Amino acid sequence: MAKSKNDHLQGTLVMLVLKSLEQGAMHGWGITLHIESISNQVLRVEEGSLYPALHRMEQQGWIASEWGMSENNRRARYYRLTAVGKKQLMAEEKNWREIIGAVGLVMSYSPAKG
Amino acid sequence: MGWLRRVASLFRGESVAKEHEEEMRFHLAMREQWNVSKGMEEPEARRNAKVRFGNFNRLRERLREIDMWTLPESIGQDLRFGVRMLRKHSGFTLAAVAALAMGIGLNTVVFTLGKAVFGRGVEAHDADRMVNVSLIGRKGEFNSFFSYPDYEAYRDGAKSFSGVIAERRVTVKLSSAGGAMTQTTTGAGKLAEALLGFKLPRMSTGETEFTTISEISENYFDVLGAKAFRGRIFQAGDRAELVANPSALISENYWEQRFGSDPSVIGRSMKFNGASFTVIGITPRDFTGTGVVTPNFWIPIVSMPLLHPGMQILQDRNNICCRIFARLADGVTMAQAQGEVQGIADRLRTLHDPHSDEAKPSSALIWPGSPFPRKIDSGIVFSASLIMLAVVLVLVIACANVASLQLARAAARQNELSMRRSLGASRARVIRQLLTESVLLAILAGAAALLFAWGLLRVLVVEYADMMPPEWGTVVLHVNPDLTIFAYVLGISVLAGVLFGLAPALESSRSVLGGAMKANQNASPSRSGKLRNALVATQVAVCLVLMITGALLIRGSMHALEVKYEVKRVLNLELGFPDNAKYTKERKLSLAREIRTKIATLPGVVDTSVGRAPDGGGVRVASISTDTKSAAGEAGHPVLFYTYVMPNYFQLINLPVLAGRGFDKNTGAAEPVAMVSQSAAATLWRGENPIGKKIWLSTAGQYHGKDEPLPDSVQYEVVGVVTDAGGTQLDGSDKSQIYLPLPEDSIYQYALLIRTQSDPEPVSESIGSVLAVVDPEVMGYTSTLEEMLHETAPFGVSRCAAAFTTVVGSFGLLLACMGIYGTVSYMVVLRTHEVGIRMALGASRATVLRLMLRESMRPVVTGIGAGLVLAVGASYLLRTLLYGLSALDVISFAGMSMLFLLIAMVAAYFPSRTATLVDPIVALRYE
Repeated sequence: MAKSKNDHLQGTLVMLVLKSLEQGAMHGWGITLHIESISNQVLRVEEGSLYPALHRMEQQGWIASEWGMSENNRRARYYRLTAVGKKQLMAEEKNWREIIGAVGLVMSYSPAKG
Repeated sequence: MGWLRRVASLFRGESVAKEHEEEMRFHLAMREQWNVSKGMEEPEARRNAKVRFGNFNRLRERLREIDMWTLPESIGQDLRFGVRMLRKHSGFTLAAVAALAMGIGLNTVVFTLGKAVFGRGVEAHDADRMVNVSLIGRKGEFNSFFSYPDYEAYRDGAKSFSGVIAERRVTVKLSSAGGAMTQTTTGAGKLAEALLGFKLPRMSTGETEFTTISEISENYFDVLGAKAFRGRIFQAGDRAELVANPSALISENYWEQRFGSDPSVIGRSMKFNGASFTVIGITPRDFTGTGVVTPNFWIPIVSMPLLHPGMQILQDRNNICCRIFARLADGVTMAQAQGEVQGIADRLRTLHDPHSDEAKPSSALIWPGSPFPRKIDSGIVFSASLIMLAVVLVLVIACANVASLQLARAAARQNELSMRRSLGASRARVIRQLLTESVLLAILAGAAALLFAWGLLRVLVVEYADMMPPEWGTVVLHVNPDLTIFAYVLGISVLAGVLFGLAPALESSRSVLGGAMKANQNASPSRSGKLRNALVATQVAVCLVLMITGALLIRGSMHALEVKYEVKRVLNLELGFPDNAKYTKERKLSLAREIRTKIATLPGVVDTSVGRAPDGGGVRVASISTDTKSAAGEAGHPVLFYTYVMPNYFQLINLPVLAGRGFDKNTGAAEPVAMVSQSAAATLWRGENPIGKKIWLSTAGQYHGKDEPLPDSVQYEVVGVVTDAGGTQLDGSDKSQIYLPLPEDSIYQYALLIRTQSDPEPVSESIGSVLAVVDPEVMGYTSTLEEMLHETAPFGVSRCAAAFTTVVGSFGLLLACMGIYGTVSYMVVLRTHEVGIRMALGASRATVLRLMLRESMRPVVTGIGAGLVLAVGASYLLRTLLYGLSALDVISFAGMSMLFLLIAMVAAYFPSRTATLVDPIVALRYE
C-alpha cells in the first residue's frame, strides 16, 4: 500500500479521535469537522482513512459504536469513548506531552558560540 | 419475537459490509453539503468531497480486511475467557456436562445398536447390488424359502442376476473334532441371567456336541465376493469335487474359540451327524455372509444327503429348504429382475404339488439384500420403538436440565453482563461470548458422551456375545458409536444449550446503554423465571413417565410369574429325533418309552408324565361346539386352545382340580372325556355346571403337525374343571384350555415332564447320560418349567423392557434431581437479598425454609401432575405387556409419584437450607 503523506500523523490521529470523543458520542464526519475547526483548519484529516482507524480502535475496545440519527435525520454511526478508551487517551496524552516537551527542548537548544 | 431478530443480526455478515458503505456514504454526503454551504457549485462540491475522501473502494476493502482479521483474534479471546468461566463455575460445568453426556451417550448407543441390528445388509463386496428373492401370496403371506430344485431354476434361468445363492442354517451334531470341548454353561450370559432372569436351554447328549452350520450353494463366496482367511473356500465350479470329497469350512471365530486357533484344524476330518467331512479352509473373522451370526461351519448344500440321510432335499421340489439371495447383473434394475423372476416363478408353480402353498399364485418381490425377513416381528418393532422412545425422553430431560441450569446461571450473571456492556462490549460481542461458552460446554459434553457411548457399547456387546452358547455361533455386531447418529444427537443438545445459553445476553442487551449500571441484584427477570419453572416441570413430568412405566413393567412381569402350578421342581425334556427315514414312528415310540422308564428310576425323580408344559411351545387350537357334532366346523363357535396330557399331568405339575374328577389313571386306551380350565368353562357355559356336558372339537383349517393325534369327530364328556394355568399368549386367550387324554402311543410327540424331589439340577445333568445309553443320536433339550416361563416371548419382552426402563428411569431421575438441585440453588442465590430483609424483619429460619421449599416444589408438583396424565397414556399403550395387571395400577402410579416428590424434596432441601443460613447484615449490605 502506497504511503500517503499524512501517514506520519497516524499515531496522533488515534489520540485526536479519542480526545474529540471525550466531548461525547460523534459520527465520523463530526470528528473530522471537530478536528478541523478546533485546529483552525491546520490539521486536515485524510477523511477516508479515518474509517479504518475508527474500526481498529473499536476492535481494541477503546471506542464503541452504535447506529443513531444524525442532526439532519440520516442514519449515522455514532462512536463513543469506552472506559478502556479513556485510559488509553490518558496514556497517549501523557506520552505526547513528554514528546512535545522533549522535541521543544531539542528545538530550543542553541549552543553558545564562543 | 424480538430476541430472534437480535440473534439473527449476529449472523448477517453481508449487511456488515453494507453498513461500512453506508457509513462512508454518509460522510461523503455531509462533506458535499458542507462544500455547497461554503458556496461551491454542485458538481465541484461533489468532486471535491470525493478527492478529500480518497479511494472509496480501496477503503471499503480495508475495512473488510480489518473485520476478517479481528474475528479469529477475538474468538481466541472468547475461548480463553470461556474456559476460565467454565473452570470457575466448575459445579455448573460438571452438572451440565454430565447431564448432556448421559443424554447424548445413551441415545448414541441405542440408535447405533438399532442401526447395527436392523439396518444391516448382506455382508458382501459391492453389497448394494445384492438382493433378496421372495414370493408374496394372494393373502399377502411372505415366502422367502424355496426348494433346492427351484433354486437351481432361478440360478440357471434368471439372466438379470450375475449370481444366485442359497443358504440354510441348521444345528448338527459334531463328533471326533478333537481339541478340548468347550464348557457351554460358562458361556451362558451372566448379565442376561442377572438382569432378565433368562436362561437358555441346555442341550445334552452323551459325548457329542452341537454346532450351527450354514449349508450353502457352492458359489456362495464367489457371489458375495468373500475370500478365505486360511486354506481355500468353495467355488462355483467345485460341485463334482465337493460331492466326491465332502468338505467343510470353519469360521475364524469358532476356530479360535473351540480349537484355540490350532493350524492343524485345516485338513482334519470331523464328523457331522456321523458323516465325515474334511475341513479345507477358514472364513474370515466375523464373516456372517447372509446372516447375522457367524455359523461355526459352512458345508455345501450338495452334501446335504450326507447330513440328513433319507431326505431327498436336492431332488424334491416340494421340500422347502433355503433362502435365496442374488447379485444383480450390471445395468439391471430391481424392477427388471423382478419381472424375470415372476416369469420363472409362474413356470415353476405348475411343477409343485397342486395342494401345496407353492402351487398357489404369487407375485415375485426383489428387495435390497438383508439378513432379516422382510417384515420384522411386530413385537420386536414394538419393544424397539419403546426403547428408542425412552432414550429420546432421557435426551429431553437432559436438554431441559441444561437449559434450566443455563437460565438459572443467566439470572445470576445478569450483573456481570451488564457490567461488560457498560464497559463498552457490544451486544454482538457479549452474545458471541456466551455462544462460545455454550459451544465449549457442548464440546466437552460431546467428548464425554463419545467415551461413555463407546464404553457402554463395549460392555453391552461383550455381554451380549457372552449370552449365546458358543454352539449357536457368534453374533456379530459392528458397534463403534455411529458418528452420524452421534453428530445428530449432539446437534440437538448443542442447539438446546445454545438457545438457552443466549438467554442472559438477550435479557441484558434489552437494557438501554448506561441504564445497565443500575445493577439490581434482587430482581430476577420474571420471564426467565417462568421459563425455568416450566423446564423443571418438564423434566419432572418426563422422568415420572419413565419411572411409572418402569414400575408397571416390573410389576407386570412379577404378576406373570404368579402361576398356579409348580415351576421349580418340574423339568421339561423335549426329545429331538434325527431327521431321517431310519427313525420310524414305532422306533421313536419305543425310544421315548425306554427313555421315560430309565429317567423314572433316576435318583431324585418323583414321577414322570407326558404333555405340553403350560408355557411350552406347540400350542393348538380348535373351534368348540357344545351343541351338535356337525356344527363344530361351522363359523361362530369359540376357538379355544386344546392339548393332550397324560392322566397324572395335573398332579405332577400341581395344577389344582377344582371340580369333578381327573382322567382315569388306569386305562391304557384314552377314554372320550375332557377337562376344561375355569376360563374355558366360563366361556362355553357361562356359569352353568360344566360337568357332564358334551363338546365336539374341530381343527379344520387350523395348524397341526404330521401324524399328530386330532380330536375331530369324537364326542367328549367334560369330567372335571381345573385352575387356569396361564400361558404364552400376550392377550391371555390361552387361559381357556381344553385338556384331552393323551393316547399312549403318541407320547413321543410330546415333552416328558419330570417331577423332582428337590433341586432339579442333578437330575437335569444325568439326563445326558441316559440319552447316551439309549441312543446317542437322540438330542434332548432340558429346562425347568420356571425357565420356560421366563423364556416366553411376552415375559421376555416385559422383563427386558422393565430392566431397560429401570436403567433409563434411574438416569432420568438422576438428571431430574440435578435439575431441581441446580435450579433451587440458583434461586436461593438470587433471593439472598430478599431473604436477608425477611430475616431482618423477624422471619424465623423455619419460615424461610418453608418459603423456599414451597417455591421450589411448585414446578415439581405441576410436573408430577402432567407426568401422571402422560403416564396414563403410556400405560395404555403398554397394556399388552402387563400380563393382566391393570394399566392403572395404583401402586405404580401413587408409589412412584410419592417417591418422586420425596426425592425432589430432598434435592430442594439442601440448597433451601443454605438460604436460612444467610446473615441478614451481610445480605443487606449490598444495598
